[in-house]
Amino acid sequence: MSFLSPWFLALGVAAAVPLLLHLLRRRIGARVEFPAARYLARAEREHSRTLRLRNLLLMVARVAAVLLIALAAARPAARLFGGGHGPTAMAVVLDNSLSTAAVQDGRPLFAHLDSLAERALSGATTADRVWLVTADGQARAGTAAELRDAVRRISPLGGAGDPALALARAASAVRNAGLAGQQVALITDAQRTTWTAPAQLGAVPVVAWVPAGAPPANRAVVSADAQPQRWTPRGAVSARLMAQDSTTYRIALAGSTLARGTAAPGEEILVRATPAARGWLAGTVELDADELPGDNVRYFAAWVGAAPRVRVAPDAGPFVASAVDVLRGDGRVAAGGDVTVAPADEVTALPALITAPTDPVRLGAANRALARAGVPWQFGPVRRGAVLVAGDGAGATQATLRYSLLATGAARTDTLARAGAEPWIVAGPGYVLVASPLTPDATTLPVSAGFVPWLAGVFANRLSGDPGRVVSAAPIQHLIWPSWAGALDGAPGAAGTEFTAPDRAGTYFFTRDGRRVGALVVNPEPRESELARWAPADFARLLGGHARAFTAADRFAAAVFDVTARRPVVVPLLAALLAVLVLEGAIAARGAGGEG
Amino acid sequence: METARATRADLLDPAHLAALGRVEIIARWVVDGFMTGLHRSPRKGFSVEFAEHRPYLPGDDLRHVDWRIAARADRLVIKQYEEETNLRATIVLDVSRSMVWSGAQLPAAGRGHAAPRLTKLAYAEVVAASLALVLLRQRDAVGLVRFDDRVRTAVPPRARHGQWRRLVTALGETGAGRASSAPAALAQAARLLDRRGMVVLVSDLLMEVDDVVRALRGLRAAGHDVTVLHVLDPDERELPSHGELLFVDPESALEVPATVAEVRAAYRATVIEVLDEWRARLGAVGVGYEVVSTDAPFGVPLRKAFAARQHLP
Repeated sequence: MSFLSPWFLALGVAAAVPLLLHLLRRRIGARVEFPAARYLARAEREHSRTLRLRNLLLMVARVAAVLLIALAAARPAARLFGGGHGPTAMAVVLDNSLSTAAVQDGRPLFAHLDSLAERALSGATTADRVWLVTADGQARAGTAAELRDAVRRISPLGGAGDPALALARAASAVRNAGLAGQQVALITDAQRTTWTAPAQLGAVPVVAWVPAGAPPANRAVVSADAQPQRWTPRGAVSARLMAQDSTTYRIALAGSTLARGTAAPGEEILVRATPAARGWLAGTVELDADELPGDNVRYFAAWVGAAPRVRVAPDAGPFVASAVDVLRGDGRVAAGGDVTVAPADEVTALPALITAPTDPVRLGAANRALARAGVPWQFGPVRRGAVLVAGDGAGATQATLRYSLLATGAARTDTLARAGAEPWIVAGPGYVLVASPLTPDATTLPVSAGFVPWLAGVFANRLSGDPGRVVSAAPIQHLIWPSWAGALDGAPGAAGTEFTAPDRAGTYFFTRDGRRVGALVVNPEPRESELARWAPADFARLLGGHARAFTAADRFAAAVFDVTARRPVVVPLLAALLAVLVLEGAIAARGAGGEG
Repeated sequence: METARATRADLLDPAHLAALGRVEIIARWVVDGFMTGLHRSPRKGFSVEFAEHRPYLPGDDLRHVDWRIAARADRLVIKQYEEETNLRATIVLDVSRSMVWSGAQLPAAGRGHAAPRLTKLAYAEVVAASLALVLLRQRDAVGLVRFDDRVRTAVPPRARHGQWRRLVTALGETGAGRASSAPAALAQAARLLDRRGMVVLVSDLLMEVDDVVRALRGLRAAGHDVTVLHVLDPDERELPSHGELLFVDPESALEVPATVAEVRAAYRATVIEVLDEWRARLGAVGVGYEVVSTDAPFGVPLRKAFAARQHLP
């Protein structure tokens, strides 16, 4: 029972007045002469039990009357037996994130969650407004029967979703419903990685059900990537597992197994391969199924193509020629003219790896050649003196002879390395421009250990055409539509300025003009594989002051709609007061003359 | 008829009537009225032997018309009975402290201004005087014993002229002792009656039943006709006060604290039990018993006294 005006309960001390009068009454009163006092004494003696009982009843009735007045003044609200509940805005939040698919006690946890959701909705009446909100943030309004049907159609997502957002939306819905009775019923696995911050609920009371006991042990593939994204045709797959013990894995690409093995906990898996297939391919890193199968497979995508054909200009320098020879011998490049490596003044077409001229007198010719090739950069004044280079693949490289690089247009470019504060290596569509000659007297890069891999990467990823890109996303993640894509296989109608990733993990390919131009790789969030849960009390504290959390289904069901089961009981109290006063009057009247 | 009833003193309100004069005068008025009405019920008189005829008057009971004379003389005459002259009566009057009380001494409860009320003693004195006067007018010998905790006055029964004056004088003597000792007074009355006679006890009977019954049984054994007039103030039956009061018995100093509203019903029941007990116990020894309320006209106790005697075995 709660009170709207609890201070009026202080009136209850007035109940002591009839009590004191009852105890002190024999000491009060005037002295009168009455010859028949012996009859009075005899009456009290012979009717003492009746009189005592009557006096006791009168005292109890008067104390009860005072207490009832005090209670009524305090405007109590209480749950009345058999009273049902008043009109309520009720939103049931059903957490259907991937973690709820975990099998516990031989049964998927989600099967228990949706039965609780149905049970919560079954308590609704036609006077209530009800919603069903799932972890994907979708709020469904309707009748209780419609929402129960909806519950039966819901299945766990392929990822974490956003149960916290769903809870906030549910609270917002009930706040704006225009009903005094408001409540949110949250049914969740209380996963710690999902519920990390207090919910923004306002004054909306939340009743939550959370599972008891520890979650099952879980193994998962928490990362899987193709390295590089573009295989020409050689590449590697890196993966990381989450497991308590050593775990066997399988890596597959385009349906063919690339590797099998056993990985220790926390060990990074790196598998190199040269697949025979070409084009955009989907791959997986898989574990044996456990209690949460949804995170035992992780997807990746790679573009696999032929090795780029490279021509090295004679003035490019002996170190560049030697490095390309090494790559050619390894099969990572081939002889040909698809890609040119040359000083700027010798470049006639792109794609090309362009180096600065070795002689400053050729600077003018070099800038004119850059302009003709459409490269939006010009060489500026020469810089001499050793400068440490910082950037992608630069390692501990120094530059002793370099030119300032001056942008000539607004074209978007990437700065791959800097010498001091100035760009040293820049890249754009079809070109990579180095501000120094690739000779030992200008820079230490050609004589460094990373030169050959750097050169391979430039050929494979920067200068071998643009096969597209890989977009990684979580299920139902909101994304910006890539401008280079026309459609998404497996998700018709997704094209537009924005789109939502599919709710199932997998590899989906972007297409343009009927050919694959990229991939959308959808995988569950790695944090979703960590099944640790909040304890009920801690979870209630996390949610906020109006939240209660139960592990028992019956207690949860009883708490649903209990916010409006408490109704004002002033009228029943006044009725009881009237009854007590009538009783008191009847007792008093009977004592005064009823028996005579 | 209504006018006649209204002017008869035995039917007037006793408090108003008592305010008009002394006991002697009031008693005469009462007896005059009472005797006027007696001809309607001569069987309630003391005499049963025929004396003479008198002309019929309106209001006379037709049962006492001498129909033989009516048939012969074509007029209605009433048979009258000769008074006995050998009856000896003693009135035993309780003048204890408890008799000097009326309900006007209680806090009024919803009665507005309290109605004038005679004390039980004042009422009983008029009744006793009236009773004596009725008897004396019938040429019976009448005596008086007044008692409280002891016998205060003992006037032997006489029928001669001047006895009325002595009785009235005795009624004015002191009394109102702290207790009632009826057995001694009744014994004194028995001594005053040297042959079978009549004893009328006028008292509020606030005394031990066994003692009184034992004394009355002795009187009955001696062949006396005994009548008890139990005088009660109406408020002694109803307890009409209110609030928390400490009730004190003026004779025994018994103190009873009570909430009137709570005990009223039980008190009423108890009073009824007490009266029934008196009636049963006295009836068992052949004593006539009548309850007299002090708000009743004086004719009522007179009729009750004579009625009680008529009903005696």
